[in-house]
Amino acid sequence: MRNFEDDPTLQDLVNSDQLNRLNQSLTALCSAPVQLSEQRPGPDAVPVEFNLETVGWLSGAGSAEERQAAAGMVAFLMMFIAKYRLAANLHHDATEAGYAELQRQNEALKESEARYRELSDQLQEKVDEQVSVINQTQQELYESARLRSVGQLAAGVAHEINNPIGFISSNLRVARDYVKELGEALPETNANRELLADFNDLLAESIDGASRIASIVSDLKTFSSIDQADYTRCSINQLLNSAIHLVQTEYQHQLNIVERLNEVPEISGHPSRLSQTFFNLLDNAAQAIRDAEPEKGQGRILVKTQVQANEVQIIIQDNGCGIPEDQRAKVFDAFFTSRPIGSGTGLGLTVARDTARAHGGQLQLDTREGTGTRVLLTLPIN
Amino acid sequence: MPDFSPDDNKLALKVVFYGPALSGKTTNLMQLHSLLNPERKGELMVLETRDDRTLFFDMLPIGLRGRSGLDLRLKLYTVPGQVQHDSTRKAVLSRADGVVFVADSQPSHQDNNAIAFGNLEENLEKVGLDIDTLPMVVQFNKRDIPNVVPEQELQERWAETPWSPLVMASALRGEGVIETFQMLLDRLYTDIDNEFHLARDHSITRGEFVERLSRSSSERGV
Repeated sequence: MRNFEDDPTLQDLVNSDQLNRLNQSLTALCSAPVQLSEQRPGPDAVPVEFNLETVGWLSGAGSAEERQAAAGMVAFLMMFIAKYRLAANLHHDATEAGYAELQRQNEALKESEARYRELSDQLQEKVDEQVSVINQTQQELYESARLRSVGQLAAGVAHEINNPIGFISSNLRVARDYVKELGEALPETNANRELLADFNDLLAESIDGASRIASIVSDLKTFSSIDQADYTRCSINQLLNSAIHLVQTEYQHQLNIVERLNEVPEISGHPSRLSQTFFNLLDNAAQAIRDAEPEKGQGRILVKTQVQANEVQIIIQDNGCGIPEDQRAKVFDAFFTSRPIGSGTGLGLTVARDTARAHGGQLQLDTREGTGTRVLLTLPIN
Repeated sequence: MPDFSPDDNKLALKVVFYGPALSGKTTNLMQLHSLLNPERKGELMVLETRDDRTLFFDMLPIGLRGRSGLDLRLKLYTVPGQVQHDSTRKAVLSRADGVVFVADSQPSHQDNNAIAFGNLEENLEKVGLDIDTLPMVVQFNKRDIPNVVPEQELQERWAETPWSPLVMASALRGEGVIETFQMLLDRLYTDIDNEFHLARDHSITRGEFVERLSRSSSERGV
C-alpha cells in the first residue's frame, strides 16, 4: 500500500494529457521541441528534481540554458502539484483511518450491547427462577400451615376421644363380665339363652368397634405428630403402618395391601411430613387401582421397606392404571392433577418429592400405562 | 520505521515535530530550513494554513550520500497541534523514526503540554510505536517570553524520564533549534546504526551523521 508520504513519480503528479500539454507549452516557450519524460532519454537530458528526488528528465530545447530554465520551471510547478497531492493523500489516509476507527468503535459498541443483552436475559432468567422458588415456597408454607392446623384439629379430637373411648372400652368389658354373671343367675330357657347370646355378640361388636376407634385415634396422633419436635428419630415402619391404617379407613378397609416391612434403622426426620408423604403415595396407589380397568382383576398394593447400602428404601407399588406417557413429565409439577377438579390438589407428588429432598433423599417413579406404578423413595440413614 | 530500498540503495527516515497548538513546531522547521545547510536540502513545503495555523503538515526533506553510494533521506514533518486534527496527526505520525516534542514554556500552557504528550503517547500506540523506545527529544520553546517556567524546575521535573535533559529553545530567534535537532540525530543514529550498520557498511560514523545532516549555513565549506 502506498503511503501519502511516498515520493511521487511523474505519473503520480501529471497524467499523460497534462504531460502533453506541459510539453507543448514548454516547446512553445523554447526555440526547439521540449520533451519531459520519466526515463532518461539521452545523455543531454537534465534531471527535474523535486524534494531531492529526480521525478523526470527534460530533453530537447534549443540549448543547455533553455533546458535548465525549463527544468527549473517544471520543478517549480511540480512543487505545487505535489503539495496538493500530499494534502489530498493525507486527507484520504486520515479519513480512512478515522472511518476504520469508527467502525472499530461501532463493533465494540455492538459487542458490548450484545453482552448487556445477554446479561439482561440472564437476569430475567434468574428473576423468573427466584419467582418460581418464592411461589413454591409460599405454596409449601401454605400446605404446611394447613397440615399443621389439620394435625392440631386431629390431635385435639384424638385427645378428646381418647378418654371417653377408654372408659367405653373398659365399661364394655365390665358389662360383658356382668352379662356372664347375669346369665348364670337366669333360668335356663331357650329365650333367655338366645337373648344372652345376642347380648354377648352386641357387646363383642361394640368392644371391637371401640378398639378400632382407639386404633384410629392412635394413628391420627402418630400422623399429626403434633406433640413431636420438628426433627426426631422416626421409625419408618411405624409411620408406614399408621399411613396404611388411615388409607384403609378412607377406603372402608377394601384395599389389598401387602406389607413386606423389613427391619430398618430409625432415621432422623420430620414424622408428620413423612407420614403425609406415605399417605399421599398410598392414596395415589389406591386411586390408581380404583381407576384401573375392571377386567384387570384384583388390585393390589405392595409396601416394602429395606436397607440398601446407607439408605432406607421404601417401595410402594400398585398394579393400577399407571400414568400416561404425556403426563409423566408433569406429575411432579405443583397443581398438576389428572383427577376431576375438586378431588385433588395436584400437590401429592410435589410434596412427596420435596419431602424426600428435604431429608436428603430422592423419589423415583416408574410407571407404565395400564400396568401400574412403582414409587421408590430413598432416605439416607444418618 | 525506516524505509530502505536496496535497489536504489536509498534509506528514508522520518522525523515528526509534535506538540501542543502554537508551541512553535512550524517555526522550528522554518528555522531549520534557513539555518541548516546539509549536503542536500529540498524545499520547505508548507501545506495549507489558516490564520497561520497548520491545517495539514509542513515538510522539509534533507539528505546526504554515503561513500558507499547510500542515498540517505530525512524528512522532517510537523503535525497540526489543534485538538480537532487528531486523525491528521495520527496519519503523519505513522512510521515515524524519531519525534521532537515541542513544548510551550509559558506557565499557563503546562496543562496543554501534558495533554499533547498524552495524545502523542496514545497515537504512537495506535500506529504501533512505543514511546519508551522511539528516539525522542523534548524541547521547551519560547524561552524568550518573560516569566516562563524556570529551566531548573523543568529539568528536575523531567529528570527521571528517558528524555532528560530537555533542550531549551527560542525557535523565533533561532536559538536551541539546531541543538534540539542534533540531539535527535544522535539518538536516531543509535537505532539506525543497529539496524543498517551505517558505520560498518556505509562508513558513516555517528559524528559524521550528525554533522553532515545538521551543518549550519554559517559553517558552509568547513
